[in-house]
Amino acid sequence: MEIAYFLGCIMNNRYPGIEKATRILFDKLGVTLNDMEGASCCPAPGVFGSFDKKTWVSIAARNLAIAEEMASDLMTECNGCFGSLFEANEELQHDASLKDEVNEVLSEVGKEYNGSINVRHFAEVLYNSIGIDKLGELVEKQLNLDVAVHYGCHFLKPTDEIGIDNAERPRILDDLVEATGARSVPYKDKMMCCGAGGGLRARDKDVALSITKEKLDNMVDADVDAIVEVCPFCHMQFDVGQVEVNQKYGTNYQIPVFHLAQLYGLAMGLNKEELTLDAHQISSDPALTKLVAELDAYATE
Amino acid sequence: MSLIKRLKSLFGGDNQDVIKNESVKEAPVNKDINSKDERSSTDKITEEKTGSSVTQNSTTPKSKESVKTGSKKGAVKKDLVSKAEPVKKSNSKSVEVVNEEPSSEKETKENDSKDKDKVAVEEKDKAEEKDKKGDNMTLLEENLVIKPESVNREFTQLFVDAGIDSVEHCFQCGTCSGGCPSGRRTPYKVRQIVRKCLMGLKDDVISDPSLWMCTTCYTCQERCPRSVKIVEIIKLARNEAVKAGFMAPAHRASGSFVIKTGHVVPINDATKILRKKVGLSELPPTTHSDAEALEDIRAICKATGFDKLIGYNMETNELME
Repeated sequence: MEIAYFLGCIMNNRYPGIEKATRILFDKLGVTLNDMEGASCCPAPGVFGSFDKKTWVSIAARNLAIAEEMASDLMTECNGCFGSLFEANEELQHDASLKDEVNEVLSEVGKEYNGSINVRHFAEVLYNSIGIDKLGELVEKQLNLDVAVHYGCHFLKPTDEIGIDNAERPRILDDLVEATGARSVPYKDKMMCCGAGGGLRARDKDVALSITKEKLDNMVDADVDAIVEVCPFCHMQFDVGQVEVNQKYGTNYQIPVFHLAQLYGLAMGLNKEELTLDAHQISSDPALTKLVAELDAYATE
Repeated sequence: MSLIKRLKSLFGGDNQDVIKNESVKEAPVNKDINSKDERSSTDKITEEKTGSSVTQNSTTPKSKESVKTGSKKGAVKKDLVSKAEPVKKSNSKSVEVVNEEPSSEKETKENDSKDKDKVAVEEKDKAEEKDKKGDNMTLLEENLVIKPESVNREFTQLFVDAGIDSVEHCFQCGTCSGGCPSGRRTPYKVRQIVRKCLMGLKDDVISDPSLWMCTTCYTCQERCPRSVKIVEIIKLARNEAVKAGFMAPAHRASGSFVIKTGHVVPINDATKILRKKVGLSELPPTTHSDAEALEDIRAICKATGFDKLIGYNMETNELME
């Protein structure tokens, strides 16, 4: 299988360990990730979609056109990129006049949107095209962690268009997390937003952090070892945002944050430097120490 | 009679709908949206006693006529909900009347034409009449009255033309607001915004900073029993706000990053080092390592007018003041 690998912004420009883990993971799975040369920002759905729809859909269509030239489906591991590109693809496929309008813009840069590919999310590819069983075989270290799974918003919603899983009680990420040996722990308002989206983090960080704190409160109540998500923007909000929450509210939250790709990286035995976990604002050490302790315990048994 | 006419146009039907009932003498027309002053939503948000501080780093309208300045703090305290709600069809024969008697000072400020003065007096008289009857059930304040001239039909039509005709299906149940994470901590009232969009209260909607409190999490839209495309409504309303000059500096900056680099979050030195360390290319294979691709993005932004929209100077490569 070959996939056009859409990077986006935050993963490759802030948390390259996610990209690294993904490349290694897909290499092991025998899936070829082809780089989308010259791709840009998706652009962010709640931000650019809120500013000017035509600009949003035109830039998105250019990215889609690059994947079309590669004649393979596009995969992204960011909910924002997924939401943006999926929605743009969907709208352009069903709205001929919008497509004409966009192609007129794209003609200026020698591109054309045809609507010939699908936009897929990393987690959905793992679940549907690889399968839990095969993923389980990759796991070298059973991760004995209690995990707060955070779905984020644009991975599943709007469900009537995306249709990956139920938005109120989904299983897909929990199953993917548990394939590594980790346990997905239930917690209050699990499906709630991280607070960063829609341009809110940029425009009004206090409100965004207030939402993030509510999520963190609930995760702490559930006594989890780590947060696992599938969106670099949520990732940033829980990592950088967690420090900001601590500063603003006087809390001392230290919940390590892993993108699902990084969790699989740990399960495959990659170290924290390879996963750039050492560059996170929130130290991953409590979770990693627990893993090492578990392994030592097994070793001595 | 002029009121009746205005009501007719307010409710959209030329002469059907509301006004068939002859006994309708007066209806609760609410809040002159044009007199934005009370609501220059800056005051609104700061006065709202939510724990969160909503920073006001935004919205300097380009055109002064869209938002007149001035302040009447007292009025601000009134929850926005009450502004929208009272516009209901009243099919009973007794009809609510705007109750609050405006101070003469207020009147002179607000009514800038003779015509308006007349209407105000008329309303006042009727209000007094109702008071005597003792059937004045409304807590409305005069300054919360929505006047027909605030209604912009084209604004509503925008949503319909954009394929979001589901805005018309909303029956105001409030499920959306009930699930809204921003609504719990800010003055953002998604149900009310949907209503205002349907009513055509453009100026009111686009000048309100709380419009930007939505994280586009889709909880409202997922749960809506009428399948209203709520997030699409919010985004289109925001597009209109941006066109009218209501755009936060932070958002202009976000836009400018994409024109400058192709990325809304561009790479930094620390990440370049990290990328190299783990064996990735120092620059990702995106617009960051492809000057032509970046030119494409700039050309697209020019073609759609995005540079002008956010006030970006392509020559100096900076945002204009």
